[in-house]
This record gives sequence, structure tokens and C-alpha cells, in this order.
Amino acid sequence: MATIKVTDLRKEFVTDTSTVVAIENVSFEVGGHEFVSVVGPSGCGKSTLLNILSGIESATRGTVDITEGDRQAKLGYVFQSARLLPWRSVIDNLLFVQSTRGPQVRARCERYLDMVQLAHTARQYPGQLSGGMQQRVGIARAFSIEPDLLLMDEPFSHLDAITARSLRRELHAMWQETRKTVLFVTHDVSEAVELSTRIIMLARGGRLVADLPVELPFPRDPASDAVALARADLLRRFESLDLLAT
Amino acid sequence: MTTVGTFRTLALSPPGRRVGSLLRHPRAARVLSWVGFVAAWQLVVPFLPTDLVPTPSEVAVFMWNELRMETVAPHTVYESFSLSFQRLGVGLFLAFAIGVPLGLLMGLRRWADWFLHDFVVVGLAMPSLVWALVAGMWFGFGDLAPVVTVTLAAVTFVVINVAEGVRNVPKELLDMSGAYGVSRYATIRHVIFPSLMPFFFAALRYGLANAWKGLVLAEVWASTEGAGWVIKFWYDAHRSQGIVGYALFFIIVAIFIERIVFGRLSRWVFRWRPSDDRRTPEPEATDRDEAVPAAVPAATPGRQ
Repeated sequence: MATIKVTDLRKEFVTDTSTVVAIENVSFEVGGHEFVSVVGPSGCGKSTLLNILSGIESATRGTVDITEGDRQAKLGYVFQSARLLPWRSVIDNLLFVQSTRGPQVRARCERYLDMVQLAHTARQYPGQLSGGMQQRVGIARAFSIEPDLLLMDEPFSHLDAITARSLRRELHAMWQETRKTVLFVTHDVSEAVELSTRIIMLARGGRLVADLPVELPFPRDPASDAVALARADLLRRFESLDLLAT
Repeated sequence: MTTVGTFRTLALSPPGRRVGSLLRHPRAARVLSWVGFVAAWQLVVPFLPTDLVPTPSEVAVFMWNELRMETVAPHTVYESFSLSFQRLGVGLFLAFAIGVPLGLLMGLRRWADWFLHDFVVVGLAMPSLVWALVAGMWFGFGDLAPVVTVTLAAVTFVVINVAEGVRNVPKELLDMSGAYGVSRYATIRHVIFPSLMPFFFAALRYGLANAWKGLVLAEVWASTEGAGWVIKFWYDAHRSQGIVGYALFFIIVAIFIERIVFGRLSRWVFRWRPSDDRRTPEPEATDRDEAVPAAVPAATPGRQ
């Protein structure tokens, strides 16, 4: 059961002429089995937050503890674009991120490919797949390492609405099955309401302005009255928070 | 109306139409252009006020005799090209052995780029002729001068392409490797090295082209054997068909290397690059897809 503890996090980007604050004094905790969405307008530091959590970037100040019991948690990352190695086959892309090798590991990768309904593409190259299929491979890759924590950075934002909806369903089914802790970045409030157990809101300048539970039963039909009401309620709250002020 | 019809008939009479459609076919157009060039060459040469320009038929006869090893030159065409290829191979190997580490250093370290950049530019700008002359003066007649010329002519192309390749390794793939905790060795082997392959190919192509020219010049000036030296032999013998014939041998070899060697190697190395006919279509709706209401109701049977 992976837990995240972020304390007083600050991230600055220094250029020749100025200093841009991407994240300002952000603190929050995420417990095990939660599906937490981070929402906010473009440029509010959502992706930077995930990059710091994954170790791609370092924080200017503050601490991040991601633990699984008494050890460091294993992270899976689904990016905005699939970020597959184009010169390796689909199955080899999954094997590339594994810390061990062997027939069991291969079988596990094949199982996750099957979960995203792409077992038949295992020997193909990413360039032979559509954008939606590539993103599914990216999701399978993240699940295939059996992570304690799954970081997802607007994974469906580049896809058409129908494909994105299908992938949201697949993601939800996989989360229900594996119960991994998920931190999901999106700018789409509807998506956050449909998938999350909790929503964290960032405002321009990287300030954390709201941390709200989503108390609706699963499965959530995005066309249902309950989801529509929750979405409208959240949007009203967010509008009152003046998110674009820096 | 009638006039227009007559005009069209005259303009595109059946033979004219056939030639027109033939020229629109790329391969036929290419063959026709060569046939036209050779025919014009054959027809024009007899009217020139010199006997130092050979006709294509004279060149063809010369080349055929060379291939049958009926030659007055001290070495056959096979021996000459074999020796030149050996020199080219050794020189290119040295160019890559020196150029790859320097290119990696320039791509990875800014101070190395600042330190070496001007020398690389000088190397790129230097005519192969200068390398051939200098190498000939330094190392005299033998194998060393052509090998050094090949290395010097190719090494800067290797350095600049490898450095550029390193700078162009996709950052997002490196970040992905880092986020998943992939080892440094695996990242170099599976991310950095494959990203460099297009630049290696560019280095090989440009380096080889420049080295090939440098080799011929070095063999002309500083050797007593090799394909370049044989060209000089025919020059001294006032046999212009020998010079043109050997130039054509060079062209044939270059085309062979480009089309057969590089073409096949490139297709194999970059077999992962997508082509439209190899794309996998999105699968039809699966069981899970069908369990969800259709996004476009009109497309669902029975819901019209």
C-alpha cells in the first residue's frame, strides 16, 4: 500500500532573466488504494509535480516521501504521449522497463498487454500502431512493473473523445482489479470526477487551493445525473477560487 | 467544338501519347534520359576538333577489356579496386575510431564543443586535395598516405554527426528511462545508441563520399598502385577512354555501395520505421467496447 507524503514543496525554474515559480508550498498526503486526480489550468505545475515525484526533476525546497511499508515504493509512469522506444517491439518496450528478466516476467508483460487488448500487437513496432493503441501500450507498460504507485500525466489528452473514453474505462477496470495507488493529472474536471476518489486542485503559480473527496459509487456513468451534478458542483467551487490569479 | 477536338487529336496522336505516358513513369524516364545522353555523346564526339574525347563505344570496349583483364596497365581493375577498398576500409575504420569518441565528447560536454568546434569546421571546409598532398609529402609513396587521407577526409563528418546525434537523443525517452529506474547501461544500449543510428548513417555516407574522393587524389599523388593511380597511368598514356572508363568504374562502385550496401543495411537497421501498409488498424469493437453505450447512437443497429 504505497503512501505519498509531500511537505512544503517548492519548485523554481531559473532563466537568464527571471525566476518562474512552478510549485509553491504544496503539501498533501495520499494513502494506499486511492485514485487521486490533480486538476488545474494549464501551467499550474501539475506535470512538474509528477516529475518531481518520479525523480525526473528535483525540488527547489521541500520533501517527498513515497513509501511502500518500510521500503521505497516502485513507480509506474504514464506520460502525455506514450514515449515508447520506436525501434523496439511492443513487448520489448514492456520488457525494457523491467528490473528482472525471465519467462515469468515476459508472461506478466503479455498478461498486461492482454488487459489492454493488445496481445496481438506484441511483435509489432509502435510506429505500426495508432496513437490510442500506443497509449494503451504505455498504460500496460506502467502496470507491467506492478508498481506500488502509478503516476499518470494527462494520459488521454492527445486522444480523440471516443478512444479516451474507452481507455478511461480500461484504466478504471485495471485500477479496480489491482487497487494500485494512482496520482492522475488532468485538466478535465469531468475525467477527474469519473475516475477519482479524491481531487486536488492547483491554481496558477502552483498553489494547492482545494483537496476534495469524490463520494460517488463506482461505476460512474459520465452521462448520469449524479456525475453531472458532482462535476457542476466542483466547477462552481473552482470558479470561486480564482484559479488564474498568480 | 470541332476545332478543339481536331487540335486535341493532333496534339496527342497515339505515338506522342505513348511517349508522354512513358515519360510519366519514373523508371522509364530515367532510362530514356540515359539513353538520350549516351546517344548525344556518341553523335557529337566525331565532330569535335580533338581525338582526346572518347566515344561511349570506345569507353565501353575499354571497360570490357579491363573486366576481362586484357590490359596494358601493371595491375588489373580487380587488383586496383581491391587495394583501394582495403585502404578505404582501414581509413574509415580509423575515422570512426577517432571520430565517435570525439563526437560523443562534443555532444555531451559543452567545454569539449567549444574546444573542438573550430577545428571540426576547418576539417569540414578543407578540400580532400589538400589532405592528399600533405599526406603524400609526409608519408611518401605507399599505403600510409592514402589511408591517412581517407581518415582525415572522413573524420570530421563522423565527429560532427555523432555530436549532433548525441544532442538530439530524445529527452522524453531519457526521462522515461529515468522515471522507470532503467540502468545506465540499458539506457545507453537501448535508447542512446539507437537514437544515434541515423546520424551514424549520415556520417558513413558523407564520410565515405569525401573519403572516396580523397583516396583517389592520394593514390594519384602518393601511390604506385590502386584505382586512383591507374587513372593517372591512363592520363600519362594519353588514353582518355581509360580515364573515363575508370571514372565510370568509380561511379558503378559508388552506386553499388549506395543502393545495395547502404540501401539494404538502412532498411534492416530502420525496419521499425512505419510505412502506411504496415500499420495495424484499430481493432473492431471488442466485448468491453460493446458493453458501453455507443458514442454515436445513429451508428448502432436498430436505433434509427
